[in-house]
Amino acid sequence: MTNSPETRDSLLLQIRDPDNRVAWDRFTQIYRPIVYRLARRRGLQEADAYDLWRSVLLSVSRSIQDWQRNPDSRFYHWLRRVAGNAILNALTRGPRDPAVGGSDFLNAVHEVAQHDEDAERDIEREYQRQIYRRAAEVVRQSIQEDTWRAFERKVVDGESTESVATDMGKSIGNVHAARSRVMRRLQVVVAELLETER
Amino acid sequence: MTPKIQTCRQDQLAAFLDGRLTPREEDDLQSHLDDCASCRRRLDELAAAEDSWTSARSFLKDDAYDRTVLSGYHDSSDHSDEQSVIPPQIAQVLNLLQPTDDPAMLGRLGGYEVSGVVGSGGMGIVLKAFDRPLDRIVAIKVMAPHLATSGAARQRFSREARAAAAVLHPNVIAIYGVSTDASLPYLVMPYVGGASLQKRLDSQGPLPVADILRISIQLAAGLAAAHEQGLVHRDIKPANILLDHGVDRLVITDFGLARAVDDASMTRTGVIAGTPQYMSPEQARGDAVDARSDLFSLGSVLYTMCTGRVPFRADSPYGVLRLITDTKPRAIREINPEIPEWLCRIVQRLHVKMPADRYQSAQEVTALLTQCLAHVTQPTLHPLPNSVASLPKRLSARLQILSSVTIVTAAVIIFAAMNRPGSKPDQISPAPLAAAAQSAVASTAAPPDETVEQDERTIDESRNVSPFDPSKLDAWDDQLDPVLKEVEQKLQEVLPTD
Repeated sequence: MTNSPETRDSLLLQIRDPDNRVAWDRFTQIYRPIVYRLARRRGLQEADAYDLWRSVLLSVSRSIQDWQRNPDSRFYHWLRRVAGNAILNALTRGPRDPAVGGSDFLNAVHEVAQHDEDAERDIEREYQRQIYRRAAEVVRQSIQEDTWRAFERKVVDGESTESVATDMGKSIGNVHAARSRVMRRLQVVVAELLETER
Repeated sequence: MTPKIQTCRQDQLAAFLDGRLTPREEDDLQSHLDDCASCRRRLDELAAAEDSWTSARSFLKDDAYDRTVLSGYHDSSDHSDEQSVIPPQIAQVLNLLQPTDDPAMLGRLGGYEVSGVVGSGGMGIVLKAFDRPLDRIVAIKVMAPHLATSGAARQRFSREARAAAAVLHPNVIAIYGVSTDASLPYLVMPYVGGASLQKRLDSQGPLPVADILRISIQLAAGLAAAHEQGLVHRDIKPANILLDHGVDRLVITDFGLARAVDDASMTRTGVIAGTPQYMSPEQARGDAVDARSDLFSLGSVLYTMCTGRVPFRADSPYGVLRLITDTKPRAIREINPEIPEWLCRIVQRLHVKMPADRYQSAQEVTALLTQCLAHVTQPTLHPLPNSVASLPKRLSARLQILSSVTIVTAAVIIFAAMNRPGSKPDQISPAPLAAAAQSAVASTAAPPDETVEQDERTIDESRNVSPFDPSKLDAWDDQLDPVLKEVEQKLQEVLPTD
C-alpha cells in the first residue's frame, strides 16, 4: 500500500493536542470497517460500500467548520455523530432498486421512518462488533497464543471443552480456566474502549 | 502429582480471574475444575455476564466477510512461487474427495473419477474427471466450500444450474448433471479441450475481422438461446468463452452462475482479477439487469477483439466501474485502423449506456452480424445491411429526445422527493438523484419481465457470503487519498496547531 500510516500522519502531526490526532486515527480505524460491513450486509456492492465511506469522509469535511464554531463536544464525539448521521442518510436515502413505477417510489418514501430504526440498530451493532474485535486484538497480544487459541476454539468456534483439551494436550480444568480468564480480560478491555469512546 | 482440592473454594474463583493466585494455587484450582462442573459454571458467571459471552461469540466469529479472504491472503503473501503451491481453496476441495482405487486418479466425486484440476475462480474450482459408465471425460465445477455453507448460495447454485441445463444450444455449454445435496455441490459439464478466447487474445492481440464476426455470431446466438429461457448470463467475458477447435465452434460457459461469483471474486482477489471490466453500466450500479446487459458485455468483448485491449481500463475495480457508467471508450479505429467503420458502429450501439437504446435482442444482433460476415467473405454478392452501412441520423435525434424526456421525469420525481415529509432539500445527496433518475428511466423503458425481477430480489440475500477483505480497505485509502488529504487539511485549520 502506498499510504502507510506514517505518510498519512505527516499533516496531522502538527496538531497540538495529540488527543485530537489519535481521535482521528481511531475514528478511521473503527468506522471504515463498520461502513464496509454495513453496506455489504445490506446487499450493496463493493463500489457502493466505497461510496458510502467516501460520503462519510466528505460529510466530516463539510461540517468541520461547524465544530469549530461550536466545539461543545469533544472532537471524537463529534466525529462519531457526523459519521452516524452520514451513514444513516446514505442507508435510508430511498429505494436502491430502480422502481418500476412511481408508486413504488412513493411507497418506499413512506417506509423511510421504519428504515431509520433498522439502520440505527445496525449501525450500533456493527459499532459494538468493531469494539469487540479491537479488544480481542489487544487481549490476544497480551497473552500466550495457546491460551488465546483455547478461548477461540471453545467460545468463538463453539468446540467442546473436551475436544479442545484433548487436541491441545491440556486438562479440562486448564482450558476452562483459560477461557474464563480471557473472557474477563476481554470484558475489561471492551469496557475501557467504550469508556474512551464516550 | 497435584493433590486434588475436594472442596469448592468460591473465593478463589474471583481471585483467579484477577490473577491474584499463586502459580501453585492456580494449578490446584485447575485440577479442581477438571472434576467440578458447578465451579466451572460459577467461574463462567463470574468472568462475564451471559450476554457478554454471546456477544463475544457472535462478534468475534469470523463471518463470511473475513474467513475466505484471510486464508487466500496469507497464501499469496507467504509464497512467491504460486505454481508450486496448491491454493487452499483447491486443497480444501481435494481433501473432501472420496478415496479411489485407481492410483492415477486424485479421488472420487459422485460417480466420477477426478484426474486433475482445470482451474479455480471465485465460485469454486473446476476438476477434470472421467465418467466411467459413459466413457467420457467431463469437467466438474465444484462450488467453493465457503459458499456451500450458505443455504441461499446453494439454492441459487441449484436453481441457476437447472436453468442453464435447460438451454440446449451448440454455443452454450451443456450441463450433464447437477448435485446439490452433498456437502460439495457440483455441476457436470463436457470437458472442452480448447483455449479460452482470453488466452487467444493474450497470445494474438486483435483478431482479423472475419474471425471477430465468426466468434461474435456464435456468442450472440448462444446468448439468444439463453435469453429465450429467461436466463441472463451476467458475466460474459473472454475467459468464459471457450474455443473448441479454433473458431469453428465456441461455447459459452459459466452460464447464469455469474451472480454468485461477482461479489466473491471481486473481493477475494482484491484488485482487478475479478474483472468488472465487461460489466454493463446497470450492473456496475448494482441495478437489476436483463438480457440487454449481456449485450453491453458482448459489445465489450467485441471491442477487445477489435483492439486487443479492454474498453474500460483503470487501476482499481472501482475506477473501472466508474468508467463503465460514465465514459465512452476510446474510438476503436484510433487503436486499430483496420477495423471497418461499420463494425465500430455496431460496437457503439451495443455500448450505449441506456439499455433501451441498445440493440434489443441477441437474436437481432446474430442476424445482423451474420449478414455482415456474408458481406466480408463475399462483398460483391452481399451488400452490408442498411442499418450499419451508415449512421442513421434518426437515432441520434431520437436519443436526444429520449434523454430530455428522462431528465424532465427525473426532475419531477426529485421534486416530489424533496417535498416528502421530514426531509429538507439540502439533505438530498446526489445518490437519490441518481436513484430517482433511474426510476424515471425504468418507467420510460419497456417494462421488464416481472418474474425475473422478483427472482432477482430474493436471490440478493446470498450476497451475504461475500468475504471481508482488510486489504480492500487499505485500497480504499489509496483511492480516497485526495478526500482524506482534504479532510486532514481542514482538520489542521480547525484543530489548534503548533
